[in-house]
Amino acid sequence: MFKILNILNLLFLVSFAHAQVTKGSLLIKNGTILTVTKGNMENTDLLVENGKITKIGKGLVAPTGTETIDATGKFIMPGIIDAHSHIGIDVVNEASRPSTADVWVGDALDPLDISVYRALAGGVTASHAMHGSANAIGGECETIKHRYGTLNPEEMRMEGAPRTIKFALGENPMRVHGEGNRIVPATRMGVEQVFRKGFEEAKAYMAAWETYEKEKGKNPAAVKPVYNRRHEAMAEILKGNIIIHCHSYRSDEILMLLNVCKDYQIKRLVFQHTNEGFKVAPELAAYGAMASVFADWWAYKFEVYYSTAYNAAILTKNGVVTSINSDSEEYIRHLYHEAAKTQRYGSLSDDEALALITINPAKQLGIDQRVGSIELGKDADIAIFEGHPLSVYAVPQYTIVDGVVRFNRSKDAADQRLQASATRAETGFFLHKEQHNHDRCLEGAYENTASFFGLERE
Amino acid sequence: MIIKDLMFSRWIYPLLKKDKVTGFFAFMLIGSGLFAQSGIPELTPVTQTYVLQNVQIVVRPGQIISGGTVIIQDGLILAAGKEVAIPAHARKIKADSMFVYAGFIEGLSQSGIPRPEAASSAAGARTPGQGQQRPRVSDPWNPTYEEAGITPYVRVRDVFKADDKSIEEMRKLGFTAAQVFPIGKMLPGQASLISLGTGKNADELLLKENTGLIASFSPASGAFPSTIIGVISRLRELYKNAARLQEYQKNYNANPLSVNRPVADKCLEAFFPVLDGKVPLIFQAPDMKSVYRVQSLKNELKFGLHFADLKEGSYVADLLKAEGKPIIISLDLPKAAEEKKPATDSSKTIVVKDAEMEALKARTAEEMKRLEGQASKLAALGLPFSFSTVGVKATDIKETIRRMIKAGLTEDQALAALTTTPAAQLGVSNRFGTVEKGRAANLVVSDKSYFDEKSSVRYVFIDGKMFEYEGKPAPKAGGNTNAAGKGAEAPKVAGKWSYTIKAPGMNSEGVLTFKGSGNDLTGEWTSSQVPGSNPISNVSVDGNKLSFSSNISMGSRQVTLDFNLIIDGNSLSGTVGVGTFGTFDVSGAKIDGQ
Repeated sequence: MFKILNILNLLFLVSFAHAQVTKGSLLIKNGTILTVTKGNMENTDLLVENGKITKIGKGLVAPTGTETIDATGKFIMPGIIDAHSHIGIDVVNEASRPSTADVWVGDALDPLDISVYRALAGGVTASHAMHGSANAIGGECETIKHRYGTLNPEEMRMEGAPRTIKFALGENPMRVHGEGNRIVPATRMGVEQVFRKGFEEAKAYMAAWETYEKEKGKNPAAVKPVYNRRHEAMAEILKGNIIIHCHSYRSDEILMLLNVCKDYQIKRLVFQHTNEGFKVAPELAAYGAMASVFADWWAYKFEVYYSTAYNAAILTKNGVVTSINSDSEEYIRHLYHEAAKTQRYGSLSDDEALALITINPAKQLGIDQRVGSIELGKDADIAIFEGHPLSVYAVPQYTIVDGVVRFNRSKDAADQRLQASATRAETGFFLHKEQHNHDRCLEGAYENTASFFGLERE
Repeated sequence: MIIKDLMFSRWIYPLLKKDKVTGFFAFMLIGSGLFAQSGIPELTPVTQTYVLQNVQIVVRPGQIISGGTVIIQDGLILAAGKEVAIPAHARKIKADSMFVYAGFIEGLSQSGIPRPEAASSAAGARTPGQGQQRPRVSDPWNPTYEEAGITPYVRVRDVFKADDKSIEEMRKLGFTAAQVFPIGKMLPGQASLISLGTGKNADELLLKENTGLIASFSPASGAFPSTIIGVISRLRELYKNAARLQEYQKNYNANPLSVNRPVADKCLEAFFPVLDGKVPLIFQAPDMKSVYRVQSLKNELKFGLHFADLKEGSYVADLLKAEGKPIIISLDLPKAAEEKKPATDSSKTIVVKDAEMEALKARTAEEMKRLEGQASKLAALGLPFSFSTVGVKATDIKETIRRMIKAGLTEDQALAALTTTPAAQLGVSNRFGTVEKGRAANLVVSDKSYFDEKSSVRYVFIDGKMFEYEGKPAPKAGGNTNAAGKGAEAPKVAGKWSYTIKAPGMNSEGVLTFKGSGNDLTGEWTSSQVPGSNPISNVSVDGNKLSFSSNISMGSRQVTLDFNLIIDGNSLSGTVGVGTFGTFDVSGAKIDGQ
């Protein structure tokens, strides 16, 4: 109880800063730094000032009063980045039409989502909160930093991160829209047409605004085109201001979207899931398209049967910027294990494997200048592990975002929710007792134990 | 002759018989109906001058005149004070030492707006990808404004029912006016200030038209916008296109030959007063996340804003203070979870103290305190607010305000939220909100301080028209609505009851059978949806509240149904929780006695 009250107190202090991102300073002493991009450094200190990495070296000193973490025997790595998740948002799918390029999950950020804290407990400091795959063109996504503790949704955004949008190929948009509703897309061909139609409308929209801008100079009463957010978002993709992240499985469809992008000269393209990416790795590399994959998750529907655990390694060796993502609030807690699987299936080096969950997803989100490796001047998003992060014995100890310790294993309280229900004490997730009761094999075991040991009766 | 009798009754009957005011109300309706039919104009009462002597006049929060006199004449307060001459024709009202307050104003309300038929929600929410049939939308790419829940052109006067029973329910609590808005989704329509007096239609009761455009994050079902992200996107689009249309119309009107004729659009045009800064968006933001989201939208689009229906203001009090916008807080306070008593012989049940469970319960209690303490926290920061009754049962209102007072709100602050603050927010302080000479004679007369648990509203005046009410009735059998059965004789549960469970798209009917009495009741139930009869367990009767549960198997799953019902004589109503599927309304009636 005492712990809980402390958390609440802390919380109220944090919540005073509206949309003002909280940044911290601290000194991490004597750890093994895995920079990912510039090799490893043993027995090295790392100084963080006002949210940025300012010094890396030996025997560093910090101003008195600076929080210090003794990392002796521990591993310091860049905060893990998940290029595909759905945590920290209240809405995943606006599934009401085949294209909803006009919506943005960043409008419904959920700072109260406990999954964000659990991701921190797995060393993950940033994630790509994505729209779902119900529509051929879903909504814009949001790159969030795991600043768990704030109540202000604005404070979760990674300020300055590029805009991204969700596209989806295959069975999901076909099933949700076409099948049974007699509208496009009922087939994979129809999905392509949704993209092409969207881009054609966007071109017409841009042309209308261009005409208006020219006309305005001559005629102050010139009529503005009707403002349309869907066309506007598609136009921003054409202008290169929004990165496409496309849900995909089959290689023929991956090539289809490559062709669409070629036709519209769209360069910034990341394939998500990409289970058959290994079949078209050279084509992806040649185009500069990137791939975010699962380590070994497949066969959950028909189009996802042709898969291999060597996918990430094959893509990497072919020069495709590849990441491993979670798409799940459970997997996100052990992405370091997922990355390690590529050493068993594909013999990737430590740096190659770690890049899959750090600098590569950062590149895919367009934030690699800020995060994804331990380098001077970068954001102090850091995970500290007991045991090498690619070892099965790895246990995250501290997770730091902008120099603020957001997860500390030694201070991990039982109830980390930022808000509880005012009417129900049962929350399922928190109740081992509830879970036991659901388990028929153990029904009554709790009461028997109590009776046997003569525990308190009331 | 009959007509004359009725007319007599209309004003004298309640005074002579002191009958329930509902009877009075019904009489009145019959009366006016007859007049309408026979073409004889409605007559005014003998005198429209009333005097309340030796009363505690609560002029405004914090200002009381003891032993004062209030004179009401022709709909206005003629005098309110100590030394007051009483006109000879004034009718003396028995109100000795009672409390006189300005009539209460609902800061936001749906009083007088009929609930839509249950059938309209039968389509239910569509879960994407679950193979369910999409509700019919004319065109998924371009749903109509109505399908999308975008109806900002709807005015209260178009949908208001002057004889809706909710008006009388609020009036007998002391409410005399309300900012009412139409039922709808993201943009349900325009709010208006409505008198809660009697009138034939909305126009007779309309005090101020279009006090604001109501906005919420409620999505449409089955059509864009079907989620909050769709709603926000659509709001941005509408707002910008409204500004575009306004400019377009201006240019066209200035010089019709220069541009093509703009096409009229009733939705976009409804935004014009907002764009002009004449009316605010009254944004429903019950939870803290909504408050932050509304703030972001306001910063982006720059509309005038009232925060409405706040429940979690405690979390965002500093934001609200910094914003300085008018605030309407919700009276929809959840009831505390009741500790479930062991169902049977307690000596056989082992309760093990579980530290984790205790911590969770403490946390839950803490949250409840935060909700109850919203009003006092905002008041302590000097933030004025009014009350919203949206989604609130009239019978819960007084108790809710008392809970807020128990959590630290002062009675003066509560009174301000009921009178002066809503009057100021609605720009009608010169007419309503205080007991002063020249103000509208909208008054509440309570036999004790209104906030006293045992107080009863005895008279309500609206525009000088008197409504008289009885004091607290002595507890008696038969389930009184506001006594919640406390001290009343337990209702007869045993016997057979028919019931209907209303679930979206499916009504389930059947029979409940109870045997025994008190807390030794047992029973079973049958259903049109589940074959055979199912045993009922954990039957508990507390006053007129009946709760019980039952386990059924749905496919491979065991599902527990939790019934929570109120018995009122021979009828029952309440809810049933069906596992994780949700909670549904239940109604029913006794088929036979025992």
